[in-house]
Parts: sequence; structure tokens; C-alpha cells
Amino acid sequence: MAKLVEHEGKRLLHLAGIEIPVGNVATGVAEAAAIADKIGYPVAIKAQISAGNRGLAGGILFATNGQELNERASALLGRTLHGRQIQKILIEQWLKIEDEHYLGVFSNPSTKTPTVIFARHGGVDVEAARHGDGVASHDVDLTVGFRQHHALDMLRLAGISGRTLAPMARMAVQLYRVYRDFDCTLAEINPVAITARGAVAVDARIELDDDARFRHADVAIDDHDIEIGDRPRTEIERIAAKIDEFDHRGSAHFIQIDPTGELAKAQGKISIGFDGVGTGVSLIALDELVSEGFLPKNFCDSSGNPTASKMYRITRVILSQPDIEGYVFVTPLSSQQLDNTARGIVKAFKELYPDGQPNIPCVLCFRGAWDETALAMFEQHGIAKSSLVRLLGRDATERDVAVAFRELHRAWRGSTPVHAS
Amino acid sequence: MTRGKFSFSVFSGGEVAFDLDTCWSCPSKACVSACNAPNLGCVLELKENVPALRVSAEEAARGGCVECLACELACAIDGNGGILFSLPMPELDAYLAEMTAQGMTPGFRRA
Repeated sequence: MAKLVEHEGKRLLHLAGIEIPVGNVATGVAEAAAIADKIGYPVAIKAQISAGNRGLAGGILFATNGQELNERASALLGRTLHGRQIQKILIEQWLKIEDEHYLGVFSNPSTKTPTVIFARHGGVDVEAARHGDGVASHDVDLTVGFRQHHALDMLRLAGISGRTLAPMARMAVQLYRVYRDFDCTLAEINPVAITARGAVAVDARIELDDDARFRHADVAIDDHDIEIGDRPRTEIERIAAKIDEFDHRGSAHFIQIDPTGELAKAQGKISIGFDGVGTGVSLIALDELVSEGFLPKNFCDSSGNPTASKMYRITRVILSQPDIEGYVFVTPLSSQQLDNTARGIVKAFKELYPDGQPNIPCVLCFRGAWDETALAMFEQHGIAKSSLVRLLGRDATERDVAVAFRELHRAWRGSTPVHAS
Repeated sequence: MTRGKFSFSVFSGGEVAFDLDTCWSCPSKACVSACNAPNLGCVLELKENVPALRVSAEEAARGGCVECLACELACAIDGNGGILFSLPMPELDAYLAEMTAQGMTPGFRRA
């Protein structure tokens, strides 16, 4: 799932009519000062990285005048926080907050519905809150939606009354609209600040469904502002994501497990490139490879009958990763048209390597529909002639794949790979 | 007489280009047979002894061409090598150039 950094998330909230503090993003100190002068002091200076506990980690500072702003913006920009370099800061109005709440909508795997959740006491300690203790939620029936009366009922259950009730209910409905309209998996405001001018979203955490991004081309989200898991996307992950962005004929979901190779080094394992058709078989194959002393630098799922062109592009991406000492492609007993799959890999090999013959050990295991046609292509195009290529068919197991790869690698290196304990 | 080039765009961003002089002298026309094999795109046909689209270029670009690459690969094996299926990845190219400039070697170029 793609996580948006705060200012991108707030932009979506603003589009839905949710009140956000006045502010703008800066990449340099002079730009930050110009924004602060326009807004008026005091201002908040917020590191634009997608990580929790920014405030506690010193990623959110305040300035009451130009000198403080210059000092603190300089201190933040370029600094590394939670493993991410701060390249952008958000300069925002510093609000006088009377109370803080939490409001979120998420895709609930237990109920298989969107769930709207509200906590009376928001802020940094919201995770400690328990249901019933000022916390209430509403599982949304998609055929009905989330209406004002649902919001009011939920808020009353959480103990909200008086002048806060109506603006909070409005904000909850608006946040649900953000969740639905932008195909989010999570839309969260923490804290919602209650100020003299009403309820204001002081922070925003938005996670988008990657597969629905093509529906929101009008919302220009900078790819560099999207994160994967608990770290920023690597450049090669960003490039790989482009392959799937608008072309949904099958998938080529690529993520780096060990982008820097440090994990492999620490565990005494050997980095390899990996592509699998379907995650189940991929995980079994990965387990087998790890037990043989290899650590895939990436995980890739090329299932759903991807076009050959998509396979060509993702194979180029996988083989571009530095320091890999091999490539493994494996399918389950797949129903996808494996000759298509194979053509993409064949074209990539022929373009990347002289006569299509790779420079590193490669095991290619095709099992399923058109598997024999797929395997024959590697013979026809001369790729199988290479001593570094091993083709496996429908009788092979994941264990066979790992063992074949180990043997090839051993022959290539002339030494035994390091085995896992 | 020069027959020139014939090309069309594909959905994912790319182009299939045919050198029609090379195609004219190709004895197999393997690209057309490959394209019309079961379960493939079926967008190519033979017109005046050279490959041509049997659908409009717009339809091919909308996904009529399923980008199976069968035409180019069949041409490389059984034809005259007159087809180039280009699938550009400019951002990857830039990334590789940057990687090389920093002294790193992409996996496919390692010695």
C-alpha cells in the first residue's frame, strides 16, 4: 500500500472540505521563511516523512520568529529521521488547541467492511486507548454508506456532546468520503484539533490501494512522496511500480526485501533476483532458497496472466539490481498463459546479454498451461545453451528449484555457497 | 521501390515497427502466423505480401495488440529480423546511468 506523506494526505482532506491548517511545503530555508512570513508567526515546522512519532523524535518543531525558523528549518532539512532523509518540510499555522481527538477509516479485515473509528482522546498516545473508553466505531454497510446519523451515534457513544458534536460528525462523513473517493485502505486524522474555529485536521495519514491509483490520475501525487511499509520506496521500486500503474493486464508487483544488501551480508547469504507467479509458490521457493544460503534481494509476483511486455519490463528491473548473483523464476501449476510469460523473459535476456546467455546463474521453472511451449522458447532462442541456465518443468518441486540453483551457483563460483545454520 | 516502415503503438507505451523491405523478402512471414496462433492477439494479416494491421491503429493501441511479443520473436527465429518491438523504460535507463556514474554495476552487466 502506498503511504502518502502528511502534506499530500492533507491535500486530499482539503479537497473533501476538511479544515486543515494554512501552510505550504518547502525544500529550502528561504522558501520556508517566505511561507512563514505569509502565514504569520508562530508556525509549526514539520518533517515530511511518513513515520510515526515524528514529534517525539524531534521531527516537528515550532518557531515564533524568523530567526527561530531559519535555525530550526536548517536543523531539520537534510537530517535523517527514522531512516529517512528529510527533504521537505511543511510550514503551518501553529494552532491554539482546546482538545484533541482521533478519527480514522480503515479497511477492516475482520469485518470485511470499512470501519470508522473515533477516540475522544487523540494525539500521540491514542494506541493506548481501549474500545468503550471514549472510543467508538462503526462498521460501514457499503450499500448504505456512512451518513451523518451514523457519525452522530458513534460520537455520542464515545462521549462527545455539545458544540463539538456537529463539526466532528461532518468531518467523519467527509473523511469517509476521502476513504471511498480516493480508494484508500486507511484515512486517519490524528489529532483532530478542536480550536476556536472548529475541528481542524492537524495531521493526516493516508494509505492508498496501489491497484486503484490509475483511477486518480487527476490527483497528482509525487511518486517520491509514497512509501512502502515502514520505509521510503527505493528508486527501483518506484520505477517498477510504473509498470503496473496504468496497465492492469496481470501483475508485476515488485518490492525489495534487502535493498542495500546489508541483510544478506549480515546473515552470510548471497543476494539473488527473484520472480514468482503467485505468492504461495513464491514463499515456498523463497524458503527453500534461503535454506540453501541465498537471500532474494527482491520479491516479485508476476501473476494474473501478465502481458509479455510487462514480463519483459519487470525482468529488466530485477536483473538491473546490483550485486545479485543469480536469478530464479518459478511458477506454480499455473493457469496463466506461460508462453506469454516466457516471451517477456526471453526478450529481456536477448537484449541484456550477448546471444541471450546470462552472466549469472538462472533457474527458470515453468509449470502449468503452455509450460512446454514456454520452455521450448528458451531452447529456440539459444538461451538454454548457456551453462548458467537450468530449465525445469512441471515435475519439479520448489526444493528442486533451490537445489538446481545451488548447483549452478556453486559451479559458477567454483565454491560452495554459505549455508544457513 | 522502397516500401518504408510501418508501425503502430501499443497500450503499455511502446511501438511495433516493421521494416517493410525486409518483410517483403521474408519467405516465412512468421510474424503473421505467430500473431494468429490460438490465444494470441490476431491483429496482423498479410496485405500485398507484407504484414499489416487487420484492426485500426487505434484499436491496436487500446489493447487489441496484446503485446505477446510473438511477432518479434518469431521473426528473429524464422523470419528476416525486420521487426522491432520497442518497450521504452526511460526512467530505468536514467537510473542505470546514475548507478553507473556512482561506480555501481547493474546485475546484468557484472563481470
